[in-house]
Amino acid sequence: MSGKNIRVAKGDELTVVSVRINGREYRGEVEPRTLLVYFLRDGVNLTGTHVGCDTGHCGACTVIMDGKAVKSCMYLAVQANGAEILTVEGLADGNKLHPIQKAFTENHGLQCGFCTPGLLMSTLALLKENPHPTEADIRRGIEGNLCRCTGYVNVVKSVKAAARVMSEARKECNP
Amino acid sequence: MIPKKFDYYSPGSLQDAIRLLRQNGEAKILAGGQSLLPLMKLRLAAPTTLVDISKLPGLSYIRDDRDYLAIGALVTHDAVEHNGTIKDRFALISDAVARIGDQQVRNLGTIGGSVCHADPAADLPTALLVADTRFVLEGEGGKRTVPARDFFIDFFSTAAGHDEILTELQVPHLPRRSGSAYIKHSLREADFAIANVGTIVTMEEGGKTCREARIGFGSAGPTPLRAASAEQYLRGRPLDEATMAEAAERAIEGASPSSDVHGSREYRLKMIKIMTQRSLGLALSRAGLTGGAD
Amino acid sequence: MSTILELSKKEPEGRVEDPRLLMGKGRYVDDLNFEGQAYMGIVRSPFAHAKIKGIDFSKARSFPDFIAALTGEDLVREGVTTVMQNQWPPQKPAKRYHLAVGKVRFTGEPVAAILVKRKNSLEDLLELVEVDYDPLPAVTTIEESKKGTVLVYEDWGNNLSQNSDEKWGSAEKVIASAPHVISAKEGITRQEAAPMEPHSTLARYRKGDDVYEIYATVQSVHGLRERLASELRMPEKKFHVKVMDMGGGFGSKGAQSYPEPLLACLFSRMTNLPVKWTATRTEEFLEAASGRDQYCDITLACNGEGKIVAIKANLESDVGVTGTQNHMSMLSMWTMLGHYRVPNVEVHMAAYATNKMPIGPVRGAGAPEGCYFIERAMDIMARKIGVDPLELRRRNLMAEKPGKEDHVGLIDALIDRSGYEELVKWKNEINSRYRLQGPSHSNLVAGLGVSSGGRSGFGGDEDQDEGWSSESAGGQASDWSSQGGADQWQQDSQDSGWNSDEKNEGGSSSWRGTADENGGAELDFESEYARVSQDRKGNVTVYTGSSPHGQGIETTFAQLASEELNVPLDKVSVVWGDSVQVPMGIGTFGSRSAVTGGSAVVDACRKLKAQLVDISKGTLVDASANQSELPTIAEVLEKRGLAELSAESIYKVGSMSYSSGIHLCALTLDVDIGKAKIVKYVVVEDCGRIINKKVVEGQLHGGVVHAIGGALLEKLGYDDQGNLLTSTFMDYCIPTPLDTPDVEVYHEATPSADTLNGAKGVGESGTIVGYAAVMNALNDALSNVRPGAQVDLAPATPDSIFAAIAGD
Repeated sequence: MSGKNIRVAKGDELTVVSVRINGREYRGEVEPRTLLVYFLRDGVNLTGTHVGCDTGHCGACTVIMDGKAVKSCMYLAVQANGAEILTVEGLADGNKLHPIQKAFTENHGLQCGFCTPGLLMSTLALLKENPHPTEADIRRGIEGNLCRCTGYVNVVKSVKAAARVMSEARKECNP
Repeated sequence: MIPKKFDYYSPGSLQDAIRLLRQNGEAKILAGGQSLLPLMKLRLAAPTTLVDISKLPGLSYIRDDRDYLAIGALVTHDAVEHNGTIKDRFALISDAVARIGDQQVRNLGTIGGSVCHADPAADLPTALLVADTRFVLEGEGGKRTVPARDFFIDFFSTAAGHDEILTELQVPHLPRRSGSAYIKHSLREADFAIANVGTIVTMEEGGKTCREARIGFGSAGPTPLRAASAEQYLRGRPLDEATMAEAAERAIEGASPSSDVHGSREYRLKMIKIMTQRSLGLALSRAGLTGGAD
Repeated sequence: MSTILELSKKEPEGRVEDPRLLMGKGRYVDDLNFEGQAYMGIVRSPFAHAKIKGIDFSKARSFPDFIAALTGEDLVREGVTTVMQNQWPPQKPAKRYHLAVGKVRFTGEPVAAILVKRKNSLEDLLELVEVDYDPLPAVTTIEESKKGTVLVYEDWGNNLSQNSDEKWGSAEKVIASAPHVISAKEGITRQEAAPMEPHSTLARYRKGDDVYEIYATVQSVHGLRERLASELRMPEKKFHVKVMDMGGGFGSKGAQSYPEPLLACLFSRMTNLPVKWTATRTEEFLEAASGRDQYCDITLACNGEGKIVAIKANLESDVGVTGTQNHMSMLSMWTMLGHYRVPNVEVHMAAYATNKMPIGPVRGAGAPEGCYFIERAMDIMARKIGVDPLELRRRNLMAEKPGKEDHVGLIDALIDRSGYEELVKWKNEINSRYRLQGPSHSNLVAGLGVSSGGRSGFGGDEDQDEGWSSESAGGQASDWSSQGGADQWQQDSQDSGWNSDEKNEGGSSSWRGTADENGGAELDFESEYARVSQDRKGNVTVYTGSSPHGQGIETTFAQLASEELNVPLDKVSVVWGDSVQVPMGIGTFGSRSAVTGGSAVVDACRKLKAQLVDISKGTLVDASANQSELPTIAEVLEKRGLAELSAESIYKVGSMSYSSGIHLCALTLDVDIGKAKIVKYVVVEDCGRIINKKVVEGQLHGGVVHAIGGALLEKLGYDDQGNLLTSTFMDYCIPTPLDTPDVEVYHEATPSADTLNGAKGVGESGTIVGYAAVMNALNDALSNVRPGAQVDLAPATPDSIFAAIAGD
C-alpha cells in the first residue's frame, strides 16, 4: 500500500536512480541492496573509489556526498537518488592535479595508492571544515581511512602541505 | 558483502513510516545506516523490508525547552559534536559522541539510530542513560515518553514497539554546580569500549559536598547500567580521591562484562573502576562551569 | 660515513605512478571487467577440522543465475595436483587440495566453488550450497599439536612439519660457566599482512590458442605462472599472467598458492566465460597466508665485558596447515644468530602444523621474529649487567670493515640524531614523578627501547660464513641442499611410506625460474631479469621481473635507466606484470627489488651501451680513427636500419644485500590501564646508495608502523574450536592515524659492493627491527612499576601489560 509520498523499490526489481556525480548527471538501474560504492564502480564505471573491507572501517570507499565525507559502502544507491556526489575522479581539472593531489605526490603521501582516493576525499572535507588543522586535527580527521603502506607519516605531511597551499591561494584571492 | 534482498520504502511523512512498519512485521527502520548496514552486509541481519526515515522532515533540531534540551532523533553525531549548547551544558554527551567511529560515520549516523540500535558497548546509550534522558516514541497508538531506565531492555533491544519510531530525545537540564564527563577506554581510539563510563556530579553550595552523583557504564551487561549503590554512597559525601575510589569499587557491583579477544572479564572490571574514578574526577573539575536551573 | 649517497640526477618531485593513482585511474584487478563475465564464489568451511560427508548443489542449481560448480573430487579427477609447497628448506609434504578432499583443516578452507551470472546473486547462491560436515576436534596451539592426539595430516604420524638444528662450539658448557646468563620466553602471535586491497582474480580462457589469460593480485606473475603450470600439469606458455596496479601485498600475495586463480581458469575453460573473483575482507582474513606465530625460549650468555659468548634457544612455530613458503622459521633462526658474532650456538627449531590457515612470509618473513628474539634478550641482559642498552650493542656489533656497514657508527649517529641524552633525562623525570607518593604521584611511566638489526643475507656476511661453518654440523647454513633436515625427511618418508612419485603430489619450487638458455646466470632468488630497449627517438623501455605494489619501482627503475643511459626521466617507461612482455622474473618481495631488479636494470643498460658502442664503431666511424664523441642512438639505428636496440640481463648479485639500522622508541605507559603511547621514534639506517630518498623513507615509515601494530595491537585470535575470532578490521586492529607517532629517519650510507647500483633492500627493514624497539621500550617502562614485570609476548595489549603489572 503506498501513500502519496512513498518511494518504493522492490527487492526483486531494478529501480532507476539519478545521481549527480562530479558535476554530471548519471542514471542507472539498481537493486535496493546495491551499495552506493558498487553503483559507482559497476554502474557508472568510476572505479577510483575502492572497496577494502566489509564493515565500513577502512574508508577506501569515501566520497563526498552533499558536502560531507561519507563511506559509500555504508549507503544504498537508492538512498543517493538526487544527491550530489564528488568522487576522486572529480578532483583534478583535466590533467591538472588538485592542490591536495599535488601535495600528496610532492610529499610521497601514497605508495600502493589503494587507500588514496578515500584519503583525498576525507582530506578535502577536513580542509573545507578546518582550513588550518593541527597535526592532531589531521590525524583525527583522517581516522576513518586506514593505510597499510605509509604509516601515515607522509600522509600527515601531505595534508599539512595542502592546507598551507590552499590557504595561501585563498589569501591571493581575498587579499 | 552484499546484503540479502529487501524491499525499500522511503516515506514522505512520519505517519506513512509508522503505517509501513505496522503493515510489515519484519521491517526495520533505516536512519543513518551506520550500525544497520554493516550487519546487513555481513548478513548477520536480513530484514526483508527497510523503511528509510533518514530524510523525513521535522526530526532534526536541537531546541532548548524550559526544562530540557530537545534533540530531534535524526540529528547526526557530527551535529551533536559541534553543538555549543551541548558542549557547554552536557559535556558527557559531547565527549561520548566525539568517540563514535570516525568523521564519515559521524556524518551519517544519527543520535536516534544509535540509541535504538542499543548496543551496550556503544557510547551514546551509556551517556544518555546517565543523563536520565527521556525518549519520545510515536506509533499507531500515539505518542509516549519512556525514560532511559526503562528504554534499554536487552542487547540490541529497546522498549520501542515494532511500529514506534523514536522522534525526540529530551535531556533534562543539569542543576547548578554540575559537571559531567564520559570516558572510554579502548584499544584504539575508534574501537568499541573495553570500559566506558559516564558521570554527572552536582555539588552543594560551597562546592565541597556532593549533592547528587550519577554514574553509568556500558560494555558490562546486556544494557548500559546505572551504578545505584555507588550513586547512593556519594550522596552527601565530599568528593575526593578516597570517596571516588570507594564509589568506583561499588560501581562494579552490577557489572558482568564478558571476556573476549580484547580483554578478560577481570581486566574489564578493573577498567570500569578506573574509568569511573577518572570520569568522576573530570566531571568534578567541570562542576560549577555548568549553568542551569536548580 | 654520514654522507648520503644518492643518484647524481636529482630525484623527481613526485613518482611517475602518482598521477594515475591520485586521479582514481589506477587499474587494480577488481577494476577490470570482461564483457559477459561470470562471478565465482567459494564455499568455505565453518569448521576448523571436520570430515566432509557430502556436498549438495541442488538448491543452488535450481536458480537461473547458477552456472557451474566444482569440488575437490573434480580437481582430483582433472589431475590437479595438491597445493604447491616449496622445499626450501624441506618440509613434510602436506597433501591438501585447493578444494578440500575428504576433510577440511582450517576455518574458511575452500570446500567448493560456484560460478554465477550476476554479482548480486553470488552470496545468495553460496548460502544455498549444503555441505554435510562431521566436526573433529581441532588443534590450534603448538602444545596441542606436539601432543599429536589430533593429526592435521594423518599420513604424517605426528604434526611436525619441519625441523632443524644449528650447533657449533659448546653452548651448554659455556653457559654453565658464564658470568652473565639470562633466559626469556619470547614470542609473536599470528599476525596478518592485511594489505588494503583484497585478493582478486579475473581469468579468461582463449579457446582458439588454448591459453589462459589471467589477471591476479600477485607479487610475481611468473611465480603464479609456475604454480598454475605445475598444479594443472600444463606448460607455462599456456598461461598469460598479468597484474597492473596492486594495493599492497606484504607477503600475502607472494608465493602462497591460492585456489582462486586456478579455479577461475578451470571455470573459464568449462564455460567459455571470463571469470571474476574478489575476496571480501572476511575471506581475506580466513584464507590469506598470515605470519609470525613463532616462540622462542632463549638463553643468552655474556662474558665479564658483556660480549656474547653463547646462545641456546628452542624455536617453535605454528605453521597452520603449512604454507607454500616455509622458510620463515629458518630465516628467524638466521636473523637471530646473524647479527652478532656468536662463538657457541645450540638452536633447535621446529615447525608444527595446526588447524589454522597457511603460514606466509608476512613482511620480514621470519626476520622480524629473529631480530625480536635476540634484541629483546640483549635488553634483558643489559638490565642484568647494569649496562646501557646501546652500550651493550656497541660492545657486540661487528666493527667496520671496508665495504661493510659500520654498525657501531650507526649507534653514534642514533645517539646524536635522537637526542639520546635528553631522552634519558626525560624518561628519568617521568619515572621519578611516578615513584613519589602523595599528591604528586603520577600514573605514567616512561621507557626507551633500542633495537638493531637487518635481514641476514642468505649468502651470509663473510665474517658470518666463518662463524657459521667452522664447527657447524650440517655444513654452511646457506647451503639448503645439505640440510640435516633433508636427510631426516628421507628417513621419515621411508618409514611412513610416503612416496615422492605418488600421483597428484604437489610440485615444489626452489625459487628457480627459467634458466637462461644461453647458459648464463640462472634466474633464482639472488637474481632478476631485465630487458632495456631504446628506439630511434631515444625513448627507453625497461622490462623488469620485479612487480611494484607501492615500492615506487616505476619511478626508481626509470631513475636508474635515466642515469645509466643519460636520457631524461620522462623518456623512460617501465613495464612489469606481464608474463609475455616480460618472459621471466622472480618478483617483488623480501626487500629484493632495488637489489636484484635494480642491478639487472643497470646491467642491461650497460649492455645496451656496449652494443651502441659496438655498432657505432662499424657504422659511422673508421675502426682506426679516433672517436671523440659517440653518435646518437637515432643516428646509429637509422644508419643500421634498426628500429631499436635491446639488451637483456639476468643479473645475479654477489650476495643478497639488506639495509641495517638501529631504532629508538620512546614511550609512556599509563600504568593504571596498561596503555602505551609512543611519543618518539627514530630510525638511523644504512641502505647503501639511495635511489629515491622519499621512497626509502616511505618504506621505513610503513615498516615501522607495521611493527608497532605487531608489537602493540595486532592478534589473530582463535577459540578452542579453532574458529577465527578476528575476521574484520573491527576485531583485528591495525594501526590508525590516531595510534601512530611520527617516525624520524636518518641515513648513513655504505654502498653495497654486491649490487650494481650500490643499493640495499629496505622494504622490510622497518618491520624487522621495529618489534624489539617497541617491546624493549615498553619493558623499560614496566621495570619502574614492579621488578620482574615483563611482557615478552607480542602483541603487548593493555590487558597483557596490566596482567604483567599485577604479577598474574
